[in-house]
This record gives sequence, C-alpha cells and structure tokens, in this order.
Amino acid sequence: MTYQVSIFLENKLGHLEKVTAILKQAEINIRSLHLNHTANGWGILNLVVSNPEMAHQLLNDNGMSAALREIVVIKMADKPGGLDTLLKDIIMAGVNFTNAYGRVVNEGENAFFVIDIQDIKDARTRLEAVGLDIIPNKLVYGLSQA
Amino acid sequence: MYWEKELEILELKSLGKLQVERFMKSLHQASDSPYYGRVPEIGKMLKSGMKSIEQIRELPFTTKEDLRNDFPWGFLSTDKRDVVRLHSSSGTTGNPTVVYHNRHDLASWANLMARSLYAAGVRDTDVFQNMSGYGLFTGGLGFQYGVERLGCLSIPAGAGNSLRQIKLMRDYGTTVAHAIPSYLGRLFDVFKEEGLDPRKDTKLHTLVIGAEPHTEEHRQRIEEMFGVKAYNSFGLSEMNGPGVAFECTEQNGLHIWEDAYVVEIIDPKTLQPVPDGEMGELVMTTLDRQAMPVIRYRTRDLTRFLPGKCKCGRTHRRLDRIAGRSDDMFIMKGCNIFPMQVEGVLMKLSEVGDDYRILLETMDDVDEMIVEVEVKKGWFNGDLAFLDRLQKHITHLIRDEVLIRPLVRLVEPGSIPKSEGKAVRVIDRRQK
Repeated sequence: MTYQVSIFLENKLGHLEKVTAILKQAEINIRSLHLNHTANGWGILNLVVSNPEMAHQLLNDNGMSAALREIVVIKMADKPGGLDTLLKDIIMAGVNFTNAYGRVVNEGENAFFVIDIQDIKDARTRLEAVGLDIIPNKLVYGLSQA
Repeated sequence: MYWEKELEILELKSLGKLQVERFMKSLHQASDSPYYGRVPEIGKMLKSGMKSIEQIRELPFTTKEDLRNDFPWGFLSTDKRDVVRLHSSSGTTGNPTVVYHNRHDLASWANLMARSLYAAGVRDTDVFQNMSGYGLFTGGLGFQYGVERLGCLSIPAGAGNSLRQIKLMRDYGTTVAHAIPSYLGRLFDVFKEEGLDPRKDTKLHTLVIGAEPHTEEHRQRIEEMFGVKAYNSFGLSEMNGPGVAFECTEQNGLHIWEDAYVVEIIDPKTLQPVPDGEMGELVMTTLDRQAMPVIRYRTRDLTRFLPGKCKCGRTHRRLDRIAGRSDDMFIMKGCNIFPMQVEGVLMKLSEVGDDYRILLETMDDVDEMIVEVEVKKGWFNGDLAFLDRLQKHITHLIRDEVLIRPLVRLVEPGSIPKSEGKAVRVIDRRQK
C-alpha cells in the first residue's frame, strides 16, 4: 500500500507554510504536491512524502486535520504522448479516478503519475493486470535512488 | 434526598405566605438605599402593606441600566461597614454591574448553592473540582462556598490549564466538576491527546454545567463524552450568581428557589405577565438579601415555567432551559434568529466540533449570516467531496431552522478563538 497525506487547509496567509515547517523540522521530504482550488475559503493539500505515517501523525498532533489516503503511483515516460499512452492502459483496466497529479523523476526518462484510489475497489490489481508498471514504495517515497 | 426538606416541599399556600413576609422585610431594607428610597410606589406599599405576592406588579421594574446609572453605591441598602464582599461584571464598556453582600447574604447564597447541588445528587462524600474562574466572576466563589457548606472536598482549580485539570482529577479522584459547557469540549480533546478516556480514567459521575445557555443536545453530548450525568445550573450575578435555579436528578427543568426569589415571567414588549407555561422574560426579586435587595429585575433571559409537578416532590416551580436572551436575538432578512437555534443544529452533527461562530456581514450591499464551523479531526478522510457534502448539509439544516440561507464556512479545528468566560457566538459587522 502506498499513501499520500491529505490535509484540510483554510485559505489563509501562512497556513501552507505551517505544514511545510512541521515537515521540515522532522526532516520529511516532500516528493510531490497537489493543492485543490480554495474558492470556498478552504481546500485540500495532497502530499507524497518520504514518511507518510509520521507526517500524518505529526500534523494531527499539531492540531491539523490530516488523513492518509491510498494512492497508486504508475511509471510514465517523460516525452510527448507519455500520459496519453498511460491513460489508454488505465482506461483498459477500467479504473476511473477523481484526482491525479504527476512528477518528473529523470528529465527525458521517467515520470510518476499519482492517482487517488481510496474509493476504488481492486484498482491496484486491475492496473497490474493490464501490465502497468506500479512503482514500489521505496522509490515513491525516495528512500533509494531510482 | 432534600437539603432542607420543610422548605423544599412547602405547600404553595405556605410558600406564598412566606414570600409576602420576606418581601415586606426586604422592601423595608431596600427603601434604605438611595435608589429605591426615591421610588414613590415603594413608599406607598410600605404604608399600605401587601396581601398577596401578585401585588408586586404594582412596583416598577429594575433594569441593568438602572444598576449601572446609580453606580457605585446607589443600590446599597446598608452601612458600608456591614458589607463584606462585592462581585462585579468586567464593565469594559461603561459602568460595571456591581452587587454587594454582607455576612448574612453570603451564608444564604452558600446555603442555596448547597441545596441546589444536593438536589443534583452531590453529597459530602464527593470530591468537587470547580473549573470556573475565581475572582469577580461569581462562578468561582459562588460554587466554592456552596460546596464547602455541603461538605465536599473542594478543589478550587480555577479556569483553563486543561493538563492541570486532568492531573487534579486523577490525583484526587474528582467525582463532580463544574464548568461552562463550551470548555468541556476542549477539555475532552486534551484527554484524547493525552491518550486518556475520561470515562475510564477518572471517577467523575456528575458534571454541573451553566453560565452559558446550551441545548439539550449539547448536554447529551457532554454526558456521552465524559460518561456522567450533567446538570444544568442557572444563575446571574444580580441574583447572587449560581444557585438560583438548578436541575434535580429528574433532569427535567430547573427548580427556582421561591423562598429566596419572587419569580415572574413577562412579555418583554407589553411588560405584562404571560399565561402560565408560555415563553417570556424572567423577572426576579430577591427575598433574602440584605446588603442589596433588587426588586423586579429584568434578567433578559427567555424561559417559561414547566407545567405540572416534579416527581422529586419539590414544590418550587421549574424553569425550562434558557432559550436565549431578549437581547441576543438578532434579525436577518426579517427573521428573528437566536444563536441557540444554530447551535441546536450543529450539536446534532457528529462531524463538527462544539465551537462555532456566527458572523453577520454586509457583502455587496446584502446582509449575510456566515456560520463558521470546525471540522473534527477524526472525521476528516481527505476527501473533497465529503467536505462539500458536509457544507451543503449544514447549510440546508440551518436554513430549515432559521428560514434564511447561511454561508457555511468550514474551518480548521481550534481556529475559532476561545474565550475564558462566556463564549462570544455572534459578531455583528453589518453596515447599519
């Protein structure tokens, strides 16, 4: 299982930095980030970090509303059409998702594509069945060199 | 089961007789004060006497403004040398409201407080922790003297400092505690943060909650959180403070001590008594206070008498829980709204915390009611759709209750400013 940390955040000056300050102090590395629109005055910050369990614990201890959500991170080619090729496979697997974001790992070579699968049954199995390359935790979290 | 059996189950006729006797004595005392000495109706009644307590309606009301205008000594009915304590409002705007007590008054108040706690099942074997601010606020010393009179082991903990409150509870085996309801949610959070469960890790069996109006749902939530019985306490500093009216173990309305107060409920517009059982403004007269008797005081608290007799056998009538104040009501888009209505809706939702705030603002020339609600930590699952649904749901429920559509703002837990005393629930920033 791979996790992102999702944080309920009010759109106020300094609130995002409160999160990053806590992670910095614990020497937790942010690998990827996605911030929802905050038109209501609040939004959700999604983070892929080097230690999601610890980040989740620390943020909650500091009075924030944070949750762990299951994701899958899929390998994608960093070239024109890379995402399109990937999406065709995801469609074939029949996995529809509500939230996704990406990250380039080695320019011109590999990229990560992150999808939120919290509410999708057997997403992982279905994506593996169509031959997609699901990236293991230690690479997602940046705990060894890719 | 009674602290003073004879007085508490006194039949109504004798209670009325006692009221007239005490009232005439009190009226005499009051007329020694500069303020009441000037009231012609009082002079008249002192001469003609009183046959039944209903005749109190011949006398004028006393308002908070009257108390403030004659600050500081206008209502003092005795020699200053006789007075041993004062309690006062903070009075940051204009003159404070001050109340004086002599030794008799303090003893009488402590006795009413003890009677109230006894009715709620508190006994001299209990360990009582008072989490109320001491000092000018009556919730501190008022409870302190009452608890000592009753004979409990008292812990004068004072307000705030939740970690210390929890330590005191655990060190000394606190069985009963008093706090304002808005504080208890925060205290519970600290229990959780410490990995403790008040149901298992304390000996609490009773909480006394008061000083802030709250709903039945709020009481039930507190009872569940702490695994206790929670009893509603009502008081106001002008009538001493806590111990004016209190729930007995039936938890069905607050007995108001009619040997110590004359109680009326009036229509705040016509100033006439409302029919029995109907909602109106509470008006009270002290019957057993010497240093500063107050006659027909308009409390601004809205309540009603509960019909029928209480199973506990006490004859003193019961007030319904305070529905709001005749002066905290606000009008939005032509609708009369009480903050308690909004609170009633929020307390039914387990996803939101106990703290909320109502902001009244003018946006693009239109007045809007903004309701800020804290999303509880445990409920957040990282899903944007969940928050959207929650916001819509709350908007809908409040609209159904108050008939206008609020703007609901979800905010981070702990972001609504806490106050040490009574929580500020409504902030009116409308352009008038």
